[in-house]
Amino acid sequence: MAESEDVLTIEHVAKRFGPVTALRDVNLHLRKGEVLGLLGDNGAGKSTLMKIVSGFQKPDSGRVLLRGEEVELRSVDHARSLGIDCVYQDLALIDQLPVFQNMFLRREQVHRPVPFLATRRMKQETRRALDAIGVNIPRIDVPVARLSGGQRQAIAVARTVTSDADIILLDEPLAAMGAKEGAMILDLVARLRAEARVSIIMIAHNYVHVLESCDRVNLIQDGHITFDRPTADTSVEELNEIVVEEYRRARLAAISGDGPTEA
Amino acid sequence: MSAARTPGTAPARIAAGEGGSTRARLTAMDVARRFLTLREGSIVVVTVLAILYFSVRTDHFFSHANFVTLLPYFAPFAVLAAGEAMLMVTGEIDLSIGSVYLFSPFMFYEFNKAGLPLGIDLVLALLCCAAVGVINGVFTEVFGISSFITTLAMLLGLGGLTLIISNAQPVAMPGATVTTTTENVTHVVNGHTITLPEQVNHVSTFAKIFGAGTYSELIWALVIVLILHLVLTRTRWGVYSIAAGGNKLGAREAGINVRLTVIRNFVLCSTLAGIVGVLEAVRSSSISPDTSGASETMFRAVSAAVIGGTLLAGGEGTAIGALFGALFLGVLRDGLTLQGINADYLDFILGIAILIAMLINVYVGRVRKGSGRG
Repeated sequence: MAESEDVLTIEHVAKRFGPVTALRDVNLHLRKGEVLGLLGDNGAGKSTLMKIVSGFQKPDSGRVLLRGEEVELRSVDHARSLGIDCVYQDLALIDQLPVFQNMFLRREQVHRPVPFLATRRMKQETRRALDAIGVNIPRIDVPVARLSGGQRQAIAVARTVTSDADIILLDEPLAAMGAKEGAMILDLVARLRAEARVSIIMIAHNYVHVLESCDRVNLIQDGHITFDRPTADTSVEELNEIVVEEYRRARLAAISGDGPTEA
Repeated sequence: MSAARTPGTAPARIAAGEGGSTRARLTAMDVARRFLTLREGSIVVVTVLAILYFSVRTDHFFSHANFVTLLPYFAPFAVLAAGEAMLMVTGEIDLSIGSVYLFSPFMFYEFNKAGLPLGIDLVLALLCCAAVGVINGVFTEVFGISSFITTLAMLLGLGGLTLIISNAQPVAMPGATVTTTTENVTHVVNGHTITLPEQVNHVSTFAKIFGAGTYSELIWALVIVLILHLVLTRTRWGVYSIAAGGNKLGAREAGINVRLTVIRNFVLCSTLAGIVGVLEAVRSSSISPDTSGASETMFRAVSAAVIGGTLLAGGEGTAIGALFGALFLGVLRDGLTLQGINADYLDFILGIAILIAMLINVYVGRVRKGSGRG
């Protein structure tokens, strides 16, 4: 496809945390309206990549291009103002705050001229958004600490999906969910994919989910993107084989003792 | 308080099927339950019980004269505690408020000695206190030293600095000088009008506003606590403070500037301690560099905040609770004194009372959070 259709391009991005190299040289692109599945072993650098794109962390080197223009993502606020929003693996919910305040965290609506929170308006919009997604949360004025893992995850996803963002990052959106709630999130992703208004990068572990929900799949191994193919051209078996091979290599390296040593 | 903190009503619903007569009673109980499970509900109840107890047990407790006596034991601590609560919500603590409270009137005195008018003295003194807050905040948030250590060092250091500035000598508070004039005052005695020359004390308008007026400190306390309550419950500032204390990483991921939020509350806490320092200095018209008194002031304020329902761990807090916490401590001290309790027993009983109040708080907190939590 044409280069111009890419909403997000990542070129030669690297990131170290002290002695640990999280990303070596990552090149990735995201097309408009596409759902890109990102697979990789634990510690492969998936979450770090998400946090760089969401403005939470800065890369040591490399470029991020947004709709063809190079940008330096200065902060989460800055990335959000450019239309990028992220559902983090830890959800970034505040246990003590009620559902509706979490939904509007950092996007609070306030009255004028005295900037008191527009609580009623935020509650109404929260209710509408949750109903539209189809998530069952009986009370939106209780602290999120009282909700189940799946409900919390749904709120975090709903918060990002209902924002103005047109590039959405989902870091393991199904992690804490039961089958029923997970299906709801996958439904939501399918709907967004059909609308093709937003572009999505989704980290997942379940190959079946990735093949079902995504247009294309990227595999990140040892800080590089090592595999990039449309989901139509690959299969669960092939993805499995790649990962099994990775384990085999890692075991051989561990036995022989001269493999690549991660600090 | 916001509806967000109302408890679950499940027990009432289960029991409601038992019959119409119990339903009304359960509704009343439900209301009581809801009130008790407000964050500041338990301390309000405990305070009212203490007031009732002392009103019954002593003749003079429930009187206007005693209310006026009680004020200095309550109002200054209400402001200190409410400021502390705002900071504790973010998960930090400021132990230095005792020294800031001491330092602020001495700075006021120094600026006045330099020839500046009272209003400017006040503003500059408070700016110094705000600067202390900035230092506390930067050490905690930027250099990553725990606020307990940072502000403990500040408590000692600033107390020492106050001793150096003041040469450890008490001074008269500028603007709070009491002048005495002899005036003819008319009395009506047994239907006769008698005019006698009497000694009448005067203080300046500045002094009346800033602490010397009988209700000055009370009004300051009520206004400040009300504002802090609104800030905490109705503004972004409040939401971000709770977020910073509740889930620091999550708050940062959501794009909240946690560093700024926490430093801002350090500044708020320090500045309020500075205001209280000036109010108290004006009220007593003198300032003495009593550093051990400073620590006690700080401990009482922190106690009032915690008794009021603010968590040391952060994420939850209440300014109104802090006010009632301060009132409870004041009532206890005043009531025990009126009962003629030996002064040696006072702190002992206070200590036990604080523990009991906290037990009630913890229990009610469990009810509030629902079963299985807290």
